[in-house]
Amino acid sequence: MRTHAWLLCLPLAGLLALFGDNYHLRFVAEILITGTAVMSLDILVGQGRLVSLGHAALFGGAAYVSALLAIHAGAGLVPVLLAGIVTGMLLALVMGLVATRSVDLFFLILTLVVGQMVYELAFHWRTVTGGADGLRGIPALVLHLGGEAWKPTGARFLFLLAAGLALVAYLLARSFLAAPIGRALVASREQPVRLAALGYEVRRLRLLAMLFAGGIAGAAGALYPFVNLYVGPNLVHWSMSATMIVMLVLGGVGTLHGAFVGTGLYLLVQTYLSSFTDRWQLLIGILFVLIVIFLPDGIVRPGWWRRQA
Amino acid sequence: MGFYLIQTLNALAFSVLLMLCGLGLSLVLSLMNFVNLTHGSSYLFGSYAAVVWLGSGAPWWLAVPAAFLAAALAGLLLDRFPFARFYGRNHLAQVLLTYGLSVMFADLMRLGFGAEIRSPVLPDLLRGVVFVLGMPFPIYRIVLILAGGVLSLVLWYLFDRTIWGAVVRASVADRRMVETLGLDTRRVFALVMAIAAGLGGLSGALGVGMLSAYPGLDEEILLHALFVVVLGGLGTFRGTVAGALVLGFAMTFARVWLPEFAGFLTLLAIALLLVLRPDGLVAPKLRQV
Amino acid sequence: MRPNPLTRRGVLLGTAGVALAAHCTAPAVARSTPLRIGLLTSLSGPFTSLGESMRAGLELLIADAGGQMGGRPVELLVEDDGGKPEEGLRKVRKLIAQDGIDVLGGVISAGVALAIRDVVTEAGLPTFISNASANALAREAASPLVFRPTKTSWMLGHSGALWTFQNIAKDGGLTVGADYAAGREYIGDFVQTFQEQGGSVGTQLWTPLGTTDFSPILTTIAAEQPNFVYAFFAGADAVRFLQQMQEYQLQDLVKLIGPGALFDQEDVVPAAGSAALGGINTFQQSPTAPAAHGFVEAYLKAGGRLPGEASTAGYVTGQVIRAGLEAVAGDPSDRERFRQALLEQPIETVIGPMRFDPRNNQAVLDIYVNELVAGPDGQPLNTVVHTFPAVQDPGPAG
Repeated sequence: MRTHAWLLCLPLAGLLALFGDNYHLRFVAEILITGTAVMSLDILVGQGRLVSLGHAALFGGAAYVSALLAIHAGAGLVPVLLAGIVTGMLLALVMGLVATRSVDLFFLILTLVVGQMVYELAFHWRTVTGGADGLRGIPALVLHLGGEAWKPTGARFLFLLAAGLALVAYLLARSFLAAPIGRALVASREQPVRLAALGYEVRRLRLLAMLFAGGIAGAAGALYPFVNLYVGPNLVHWSMSATMIVMLVLGGVGTLHGAFVGTGLYLLVQTYLSSFTDRWQLLIGILFVLIVIFLPDGIVRPGWWRRQA
Repeated sequence: MGFYLIQTLNALAFSVLLMLCGLGLSLVLSLMNFVNLTHGSSYLFGSYAAVVWLGSGAPWWLAVPAAFLAAALAGLLLDRFPFARFYGRNHLAQVLLTYGLSVMFADLMRLGFGAEIRSPVLPDLLRGVVFVLGMPFPIYRIVLILAGGVLSLVLWYLFDRTIWGAVVRASVADRRMVETLGLDTRRVFALVMAIAAGLGGLSGALGVGMLSAYPGLDEEILLHALFVVVLGGLGTFRGTVAGALVLGFAMTFARVWLPEFAGFLTLLAIALLLVLRPDGLVAPKLRQV
Repeated sequence: MRPNPLTRRGVLLGTAGVALAAHCTAPAVARSTPLRIGLLTSLSGPFTSLGESMRAGLELLIADAGGQMGGRPVELLVEDDGGKPEEGLRKVRKLIAQDGIDVLGGVISAGVALAIRDVVTEAGLPTFISNASANALAREAASPLVFRPTKTSWMLGHSGALWTFQNIAKDGGLTVGADYAAGREYIGDFVQTFQEQGGSVGTQLWTPLGTTDFSPILTTIAAEQPNFVYAFFAGADAVRFLQQMQEYQLQDLVKLIGPGALFDQEDVVPAAGSAALGGINTFQQSPTAPAAHGFVEAYLKAGGRLPGEASTAGYVTGQVIRAGLEAVAGDPSDRERFRQALLEQPIETVIGPMRFDPRNNQAVLDIYVNELVAGPDGQPLNTVVHTFPAVQDPGPAG
């Protein structure tokens, strides 16, 4: 099944890259970038049962740093990506240190609290972050190749970058999960006591998982400002984290590619359905609840958390 | 001197409000191990019910019981479907279900009650002030403090001291065993859920004089409730009360002394407290891995 | 809850019908293709009630205009930004690329307005910011095709300071505000003008946006016993602030002044009730303004409420778009000509005469000083007691 999906995706992506108009390219780029961040959340939620309501802070925090770097020091692709990854990992480190001592509801609340602290910073530090109004006037991305600055025009380049990012992140995530650390993470979700008895430090495992997820979310966040040429505090608010969880569940928790499906579905419904009815939020809510009750596997593939507590 | 005394009373009133926010959530979480994120919706529903009741000319002192009953009824229906299937599930599934439901309820209430802010018509009895050392303090808030105090005593007694509370806790710990004793655990759970939802509505009715009712209030209240419950620790009412007091005082005095950083500092305080005491302020030691 | 008869589908069908009828009855018109007006407003999220009012206002104008502007039928496409800039951006892009709108109006929140500014400028789309009052749009973020048929925060803070200085007190006052961009702008501008006049302002109190309990601040106010309080809150915050002021019995002791949003006739006053009495505000809109007379009656009849800022803004935006389109005979495709048409002469709107400053396309408006007194039905009514004529934002230089 998986190989068939790939065979379908690549030519579609190619067609889009060649013939798509700016609007669609940008829209799909946004889906891919946000989807990458949601996929990194899946590593935590799906594999580690670490439900984080602060993940948007990692994604959005990296977006802010990337935007600030672009505004003040030029938007070179490599520096911006690096800055984003580092920011994502640093924020993940802080969040992890605070939250990984707890599980379940406490973990949820602690990630929410740390995420909201990032929000308060973004909202009140007006001189740096623009406060409630956010950052605008972000220059377009520049690629430095062999000493020369190549400024490719907007949407097509962004789309290719986003697609590349999504692919690389997906492969990295797959290999992380296949590696011993990933296996141990899954074990920590299923049998934490047994794992501790075997000598694993469960807390350290979780921290490392958060760092990894933070790095990926940070990379995605680094590209996000260039989608809209705008970053605002909404991006780091806990409601954005909740939205990311909704996107994840719609697509399928535990399957990495479900994140992209769910993100696409959510953004499509939000953008197109709201033209026809004022009640689009109700519809998303109903869809979400129905999926949770009857299709806990999401749209894509059987999930794991159907099991009893 | 009077200034600080009044600010302390302000903090106390706010703490009571927070405690009211957290009660239903704490009840269901401690007794049934069920994370109910529709709690904010129950609060908002109770607020709207009170506004409608007070505006309709019916006896004002029945507004709170009316809100309690309306929300309890809704809770009973929810218990029937879809909560019952989820009592045994893990917390993630419960969080997702109740969050999705809360989004639905928010939109439905917006449809039903409108998007504008609705305030209750308070009876004249509740509108005055008393003067403490020359500074005004509203009677409404005194009533709030008293009501909150009485309510928590009643609930604490009911659940910590009566056999009925023990039945509920036993039903969560070992359902089969309780069934063999001839008790219908299904009805026990339904009743607890109804009471918890009712408490949410009751809190909404008590608080509406201070906060009014509008779309979005449910999310704000839910957040407050989660902080209070988690900070205080699960399993006891003392915990919820402690959490509410700490949070209420922290938020009030942060706003008095450092308003520009009030939000950040409150969050920092919560994070630090939870790092120092990962199970909450008043909590039995849980084995966590 | 008012049902909305004018859904997008309804408008499409309606205007198609009108267009068909016009086409059949009138001599063949060269441009009978409908004019597409996009409205970006908040139909979910924190500004829902304002967003719905704005939509109602614009729909009323279109109905009053017979569904036509500049000889062409009008098609209204409404999109929801949820109060979030990212969503607003997505919707604007969609409106431009997929729906091919000719003109964009609306926007409640300053964040959304600033976010979409670059996109609409790049697309060369004439845009009318109906409600967002961020100063930046009239200064560093001004754009040739972005018009603002409403006030800037400065215009209200400035006039509020003038009135307070001349009529209330020259010192001994304090300010209270919600701590975010808008609050900082209003209060900052008030304080600056007040000090320029020669007055002095005491403590500046701030409280987080979305504060539920104002008691710490109210106790501070009670302790200081100021000559006046200049406050800025909006929406639910405003309702709670007014009610809690009344609760702490400060309503009669303290003179409360603020920008109009604190006492919005539609959004705040119905919920705050008697707590709003005695307040003073400076605003570009008032239900008792002479220019608004016919509109207020029509809106009251249609929805059962007196109009506030948002609904008036929707109507005014419609009036401005219509005036511009009439001047270019229904063809806005020559952007420069359209722009000149709007700048050429003042437009009569329900908030008075409006002309645009050519430097930044910012409206120059009469600012009313409203006092909240009991109206004929006993409810508080914003009653005009003074008008500052043709107040102009200092603009890019200022």
